[in-house]
Amino acid sequence: MRRPLTLYGLTFSLPLLIWQLLFFVFPLVFLVALSFWTVKNFRMQPDFDTVNWVTIYGRSVFWQAYGTTLAMAAFAAALVSVLAFPCAYAIAFKLSETARRWAVFLMVIPFFTSYLVRVYSWQIFLSDAGIINVMLGWIGLGPYGLLNTVGATMIGYLTLTFPLVVLLQLFSLVFIDRTLVEAAHNLRCGRLRTVFEVIIPSARVGLVIAALFAFILCFGDFVSPIYLGGGDPTTLSILITDTTKSGQQWPRAAVIALTMIGTLLVVAFAAVRFAYKGRTK
Amino acid sequence: MKNDTLVSFEGVVKRFGDFVAVKRMDFEIGKGEFLALMGSSGCGKTTTLRMLAGLEAPSEGMIRLSGKPINDLPTWSRDTPMVWQSLALFPFLNVVENVEFALKMRGVGKAERRRRAEQWLDRMQISEFAGRNISQLSGGQRQRVALARSLVVEPEILLLDEPLSALDAALKVRMQSVLKNLQRETGITFVYVTHSQSEAFSMADRVVIMSRGQIEQIGTPQEIYRTPRTRFVADFLGSSNIFTGKVTASDDGGVVLDTASGPLRLKSDERHVVTPGQTATLTVLDTRTNLAVTKPDGPVNAIPVRMIGEEFIGATATIYLETGTGQEIRVQKSHEELAGIPLEIGQELFAWWAHTDGHLVTED
Repeated sequence: MRRPLTLYGLTFSLPLLIWQLLFFVFPLVFLVALSFWTVKNFRMQPDFDTVNWVTIYGRSVFWQAYGTTLAMAAFAAALVSVLAFPCAYAIAFKLSETARRWAVFLMVIPFFTSYLVRVYSWQIFLSDAGIINVMLGWIGLGPYGLLNTVGATMIGYLTLTFPLVVLLQLFSLVFIDRTLVEAAHNLRCGRLRTVFEVIIPSARVGLVIAALFAFILCFGDFVSPIYLGGGDPTTLSILITDTTKSGQQWPRAAVIALTMIGTLLVVAFAAVRFAYKGRTK
Repeated sequence: MKNDTLVSFEGVVKRFGDFVAVKRMDFEIGKGEFLALMGSSGCGKTTTLRMLAGLEAPSEGMIRLSGKPINDLPTWSRDTPMVWQSLALFPFLNVVENVEFALKMRGVGKAERRRRAEQWLDRMQISEFAGRNISQLSGGQRQRVALARSLVVEPEILLLDEPLSALDAALKVRMQSVLKNLQRETGITFVYVTHSQSEAFSMADRVVIMSRGQIEQIGTPQEIYRTPRTRFVADFLGSSNIFTGKVTASDDGGVVLDTASGPLRLKSDERHVVTPGQTATLTVLDTRTNLAVTKPDGPVNAIPVRMIGEEFIGATATIYLETGTGQEIRVQKSHEELAGIPLEIGQELFAWWAHTDGHLVTED
């Protein structure tokens, strides 16, 4: 039922509404407009020309970066979901109430430090003269080129998303009705099978949302691909900075950014739909 | 029934830390029996059921199913399906998928399990809801789904943990007859946990009354109702008048108790041997207690009482009375039986019953 807007309601919702208008809707509209501007002699001028869209979409570099970013973000989301689940499961089902509170606290701690700092500290571990290679050297191995690889980017992505995904999964697992688990056991569903037959379906919405968050964060991330992946392969975020740097091509960068926003909207919509599939109020 | 024992509890104890939930249970459940475990909350009835289901392990003693010890058998290796108080239906599966679940776990093929699930939906008269979500069903329909889900594997025994407590009164009565008929038709042993006397007494072949982790009495509903064995059972059923006093005589001629309402006589009972000087408790059913205007003669106990209230339900009247010492007693009679008795608040009457209608019970 729709209710009429009251002054009381407006008082609380208006600041947020203004904030959203100022810092989300206006920039987005501007970004759309910008994507139709043209650049002449390193100067942008307002225009309505589809040349940027045609140029960007006509470049194989863009599509390569798009495919890479999509694949890497999707792989990272899947990987972090799989790695985080046993952790979240153990915290939710195996720990005592007090231990669970401590585990949640520990999962929050990574957010105390900047993501950039954490990525830099990974460099200390992964570089050719870094901690890992030195330790491998003691037993006569290496050095291996660990830094500036896709694997290093993945480590960065995990650093970014793992605690968040564990927390999101945890919150959906702790609300599972324990009698459902008992009922499954009672109907001859063994312990491991219960995880797949009952626990994952019960926590499905939370698990999908957690993976979606991981995907969104990785898809737009600039830090890990550049500082741990060494910018190779090129992701969309790297492509945006490259585009702006080369000849003031802000309008072309806007095209890439809008494509990313569009992709995220589609993925988010599909994920939420999948999460709630077969559910009715 | 002894040869046909399906389940036996032998000295079963369950402790949770320092708390003893079940203190030494020894009883047997016969094949095809409808057994009710009854008691107030915290009496250990649900813990007993959960031990049978394998959801709790006994701290001591042995539980046998068909003669085989099952103490160490996890719940997923037993065939002891249970119906939960909350029903515990899987919300992410539809009705027919819920019913199929146990068959799927047993590796029954897709077509076969669908066929068997649909048979049970049909039997429970809910086949039209097969494709629905659990959230779209009413309480009674969910109940039937829960029963079908447990019964689809056609087990020897079904455990029910207060399954009707969430339903309204009318539906409760309907489901009671559904359950009783189902049990009779299938011949499956039902073990039914409840705190409701009406549920236990209307459905069960035998009732186990529990209190503080112990069995107070096992018997048919009639046995328990007519001759409660302990003070607790008499109080719990609430259908007896109870008098406590010192034994002044105990021989073949009977027992005499010296109570606050005067000496009361009753026949001796080999289950409750008492000796003069000891304290004993007498119970008499409120339906066996009569009213009279003048003190009746014969082999009866009669005590002067004053009427303090009345209550009519259908053809039965419950008259509340007070003895000289302020103890409340009740008389339950049909209107015909009360004809000619002046029923006014404050009326002085005699409450009486035959010596043979009084029973001794064990004090806790």
